[in-house]
Formats: sequence, structure tokens, C-alpha cells
Amino acid sequence: MSDKKSKVTDKASEIAKNIWLAGVGAYGKAVEDAQGRLEKVGMEPPKLFRELVKAGSALEDDARGALETTAAARSSVEERINRVRENFHMQRPARIEDLNALQKKVDQLTRKVDKLSKALADQGIVKAAAGRKAAAAAKNKVATKKAPTRKKASSRAKSTTSKRKA
Amino acid sequence: MKTKDRILHISLALFNDEGEADTTTIDIANEMDISPGNLYYHFKGKDQIITELFKQYEQAMSHTLTAPIEQPLSTDRSNVEDNWYYLYVVMEEMYQYRFLYHNLDNILQRYPDMKRGFKRLIQLKRAALYAICQTLLQQSVIDARDQQLLGLVDNMTLNLTFWFNYSELLHDRRPPHTTIHQGVLQLLTMVAPYLGDEQLSFYRDCESIYATMLEQTD
Repeated sequence: MSDKKSKVTDKASEIAKNIWLAGVGAYGKAVEDAQGRLEKVGMEPPKLFRELVKAGSALEDDARGALETTAAARSSVEERINRVRENFHMQRPARIEDLNALQKKVDQLTRKVDKLSKALADQGIVKAAAGRKAAAAAKNKVATKKAPTRKKASSRAKSTTSKRKA
Repeated sequence: MKTKDRILHISLALFNDEGEADTTTIDIANEMDISPGNLYYHFKGKDQIITELFKQYEQAMSHTLTAPIEQPLSTDRSNVEDNWYYLYVVMEEMYQYRFLYHNLDNILQRYPDMKRGFKRLIQLKRAALYAICQTLLQQSVIDARDQQLLGLVDNMTLNLTFWFNYSELLHDRRPPHTTIHQGVLQLLTMVAPYLGDEQLSFYRDCESIYATMLEQTD
């Protein structure tokens, strides 16, 4: 427990150092803010002291909260980097690695389709092995036929709406 | 979405597209189809909306910019490119709140608190780019030292901060992805003289993507 705590404080002091080095001064910000508030209100010393303590503990909460959010922020940045990378790879001139990666994906998809069609066949009416195979093939045919017609229909719908708009 | 969040969302869109100066709270209420009184219940004027939007931006941007300072984005030379992708991430985030940059001097003059926040963000931006360059140096991707390195970091920060203004002055409005991509390309152009051959191929890819984008827009 205490070990974990010291780890957290280590991390905290390192972050603080980084921030300080960066000339940002998040700690400075809170003090600055508190000072600004105090100047505005013109508070007497005892109240000022209480206010400072309050600001201090709020600061502590902020710092603790910041530690928790850094992990989330990090993963969000990494996630976005991954998205940009994918996007970039789609746009750049194709390389052998890209083609290989694509081939791998196609292979994976093919395996999935095979599995799915097998599952479909298994679910279907239990027939003789040969009949099952034929049924699966027929189902596949229907599926492949269906897709393009649906596409056509939607593109037709689109073109009519755009005509209507015009 | 709560009304308060919707107000912020719509305001951001209007500020970005129509300009902050030209957008009134009445415009925002109209766009949302709510009464100005309802809007007033959540925000006592445009000032509060802008302040709140800036708070959002400051928080999001601080988190993004802290990432490379805390821990290098690339572990070794094999994923150096992650550093370049990160530049897209930063620019995309800036683009979401571009109204701030389009009217920067004016806004900062009106909101002293925001000025302080914005200065911190610039420092943080600088620190993030410095951290990236340090990592690249340690991984022997670039070779620049001392003053050269600091100069490079400042130039990159400057470019990153004012890219949208420059781009709009030069090209008027362009598709966002073109603006952002060219911005990153521009940053890389600054790093390019310090890069080895290996990393230059990434730079060449960036160039050719940009060329394709221009062909598509014309």
C-alpha cells in the first residue's frame, strides 16, 4: 500500500518537474488563481489563511485527479495515433508491406466467410452431406446476388433524391 | 445531450464556421430552436460560452500535449513514425477549436484569463515538441543539437500555432484534411534536413499524399 503510494508520489513529482521544466507551472496556476481571487475579494488574514488551505487541498485533489486522467489521456492519444496511422497507410503509395498486409486481411476474411457458410449449412435442414453442400452453395449464390441489387436500389434512391433537390 | 452541452456544441460549430465575432447569442438560440431566455438560463452571455469552450480546449489540449513529455511516443527507430502521426492528432484537435486561432489577438485581449491559459498551452506545445525532438535525438533519427534544436522547436511551435491563419490567408477555405496534412508536411519539412535517409521515405510519402490531395481538390 505504502509502496504504491510512494510510487504515485514519485510519478507526481516527476510530472510536476516536467511541467515546471516546460514552463507551464500547473501548481503556479492554482496559486495564481487563488491569489487573483484573494486580491479581488480583499480578504483579511485569517480568512486568507483558510482560503489558502482550501486552495491547497483542492490542488492536491487536482493533482490526484490529474494522475488518474493521465493514463486515460495517454491511451486516448495512442488510440488517435493508431487511427491516423491507418488513415495514412491507406493514402500513401502502396508498398509491398501494405499489399502483404492486405493479402493477410483477405485471407482472414476468406476464412471467416468459410466458417460462416459452414455454420449456415449446419444450421440448415439436416440433409445428406452432398445436399448440404449444394444448399450452402445456393445460399452463397443468393447472398452474392442480393448484395449488388441492394446497392443498386440505394444508389437509385440517392440519384432520385438528388434530382428532386435539383 | 443536455441543453447546456448542446449550446456549447452548436456555439463551437457557429464560431468555427461563421466566426466568433459575427455570432451572437441570438444566433445560437435560433440555430438551436430555443428561446434566448432558455439560453440565458444556462449561460449569461457569449463570454461565458467562450470561457467554457476554452476550458474544454485547454483541458483536452493539455492532456494531448503532456503525452510525449511523460513518455516517448516511439520506443525505438521502428515506430518513429508515431511521432509524425502525433502531429496530426495535435492539429486535428486544434482544428476542432479553430475559431480561437482565427481571432486570437482579439479574443486574448478581451479575456485576460484565457490569455494566461493560452500562454501555458504554447509553452506546453513547445515542451511537447522539444520532448519529441529529444527522443528522436536519442534514437539517432535526427542530428541537431543545442541552439539548432531549440531553434527547430521554436519554429515548429510557431508553425503549429499559426498554421490555420496562414493557410486561410493563402488559400481561403480548403478541405480540412488538406489544411491539416499540409500543416504536418510543413512541420516535417523543417525536420527533414536533420533526418537520415531512412526517415526521409516517410517524408516522401507525405509529399505524394499532398500532391494527390491537391489533384482531388482541383
